[in-house]
Amino acid sequence: MIQVTDIHKTYHSGDTSVYALRGVSLDIDAGEFVAIAGPSGSGKSTLLNILGCLDHPDQGTVSVDGREMVQLDSRGRADYRRHNLGFVFQNFNLIPVLTAFENVAFSLNLLNIPEQEITDRTMAILREVGLEGMEHRRPSRLSGGQQQRVAIARALVKNPAIILADEPTANLDSETGQAILETMRTLNERHGTTFIFSTHDPMVMEFSRRLVRLQDGRVAGGAT
Amino acid sequence: MKLKQIVSLAGKNLLRHRRRTIITAGAVAVGLLMFILVDSLLTGIEEESNRNLIWFETGAAQVIHTGYLAERNDRPLKYAIDDAAEVEAELESAGLSATSRIVFSGELIVFKDPFPEDGSVMVTVYGIDPEDDDDVYHLPQTVSAGDFLEPGTNEALLGAWLAEDIGAEVGYPITIVTRTRQGFYQTIDLEVAGILNTPNPVINRTAVFMPEGVAADYLQMGGAATEISVASELGRTLPELTREMQQQIAGAPNLRVADWRTLAADAVAIAEAKESSSGIVLLLVFIIAAVGVSNTVLMSTLERTQELGMMRAIGMRDREVMTTLLVEAAGIGLLGGIIGIVLGAGGVALMVERGIDYGSLIRDTNVGYRVTQVIYGAWNLPTFGRALVVGVVISVVTAFVPVRRAVRMSVIDSLRRTS
Ligand SMILES: Nc1ncnc2c1ncn2[C@@H]1O[C@H](COP(=O)(O)OP(=O)(O)OP(=O)(O)O)[C@@H](O)[C@H]1O
Ligand SMILES: [Mg+2]
Repeated sequence: MIQVTDIHKTYHSGDTSVYALRGVSLDIDAGEFVAIAGPSGSGKSTLLNILGCLDHPDQGTVSVDGREMVQLDSRGRADYRRHNLGFVFQNFNLIPVLTAFENVAFSLNLLNIPEQEITDRTMAILREVGLEGMEHRRPSRLSGGQQQRVAIARALVKNPAIILADEPTANLDSETGQAILETMRTLNERHGTTFIFSTHDPMVMEFSRRLVRLQDGRVAGGAT
Repeated sequence: MKLKQIVSLAGKNLLRHRRRTIITAGAVAVGLLMFILVDSLLTGIEEESNRNLIWFETGAAQVIHTGYLAERNDRPLKYAIDDAAEVEAELESAGLSATSRIVFSGELIVFKDPFPEDGSVMVTVYGIDPEDDDDVYHLPQTVSAGDFLEPGTNEALLGAWLAEDIGAEVGYPITIVTRTRQGFYQTIDLEVAGILNTPNPVINRTAVFMPEGVAADYLQMGGAATEISVASELGRTLPELTREMQQQIAGAPNLRVADWRTLAADAVAIAEAKESSSGIVLLLVFIIAAVGVSNTVLMSTLERTQELGMMRAIGMRDREVMTTLLVEAAGIGLLGGIIGIVLGAGGVALMVERGIDYGSLIRDTNVGYRVTQVIYGAWNLPTFGRALVVGVVISVVTAFVPVRRAVRMSVIDSLRRTS
């Protein structure tokens, strides 16, 4: 489903160049639950950003279902993300003025879906991630774990092909992180959504069905 | 994304920092308040000035000689209307209120005892018909000392400031030196019958009134008058009035009709002054709003960098993000506009009721305004609508730069920014 071929990415700041990715190739099938692991600075975020159409590789190609991503312009990439991708961030990134319900519904608002359907789907997904009864709370009245559940619901509610999560448990204690991962895996199994997440936490790696190791911008294991 | 949803999100974001929103809207409101007050005052001045012009100097419109207008500052008697009584009767037969006047320039000469000292001053003398001048003008109500003119007598009325300047009182003798219609020097001796304190400074400063018939004799007018003034009619617009007058003088090729605007060229200058001073106030509003709104929008985009990055990451188009932020700015402008209108309505009500007393100020300045002592504001409702539009438009326009800046940053950079 996703084919990453020989991706290179270099960051330039002043005179120094940082080689974030140096020839990464990777195949991921639909419905996989993949962890991308590696030490800090190994290029995990860079890879996820490229997979998420947020960044361009300097070299190499990314194709999803045979469609070449690298060629899309910024509007095309925004539209692609809107319809096909879900994002979960390390620091949850909810909109503080919106309730849990409204944060989740925001994803669907972007898709111009009828209001009743938005309500139904939002309520259903919130129940699924275990937030029934908290729909009307603002993020400030939710714990970190609950906020990340809202974020997962926001990513999942539009039934995307892929959910990308950059260190989704890094801001949570290990117990909560584990619960979040369990939820993600349940959703992965139930909906068949592809999950790709990064981590450098060994506990998290154990949860994955497949582990891709990055080292200094190269794949050190698990590429196929 | 639907507009309704964008507006709702923008509204919630404005409520996020209530105090900041209100302070910024307050800045916009103060600017718009000034705009409304200045406009009200200028409209009030203009309205009163026009009224005082019409009531004391020109009437609504006049029949004059075709050559008169170009040289009217010299008050030339050679361009007089022959058979003035006939023309006046014709206008009146059409149901119009009309009165003739002989207006001329002269030198007013006074001597020590009873006056405090000898002196002379240039004046404008109005020969008026004491019996029906008030069909058009409003002089009798303004007599502040003595009595109004009796027909056929050598009596004079003086403008109040003129009387004060030369030290005239009722009963004092004065002399006017002028030229007759044929150009010969003529001396007219009159007695001060009354003092007029009008709301029109030009009249107060330079006018002498005397009976028209007496003036006609001295100036050898032979039945001619310099102007026939017509009063405005309820339910008849100025163009309708002048058209009617035109029809009545159609048979006299050397006569024409001029409305008060044409007659008072300095009134036009006032309208221009009004335009430019509202322009200056608008510029001020613009600067206040530009600084206040753009700063607030900049702050709110900076502190929300990560949030905006997230929204763009999950597929919100840059256009939609910008629209949301611009709607927020519009909301500030709208709030400011509403506050400004409410305050403005209160301020205008005060100025319409109480007015502003600056009589002593205008007396020594020779401006074109026919206004004395107290100036009142006027209600000018379109200005309130304009203020609202200006508030919103200025807010949106000045927000544009920080808003565009917010979506120019790459999504990744926005997301990485820690708040
Ligand atoms: N915008 C940038 N400008 C300059 N250098 C960057 C930028 N983004 C990433 N880098 C560098 O690229 C390399 C890879 O960064 P990346 O964020 O992908 O690593 P990571 O594996 O996600 O690390 P971490 O576990 O700390 O999140 C690092 O050396 C980082 O300093
Ligand atoms: Mg990272």
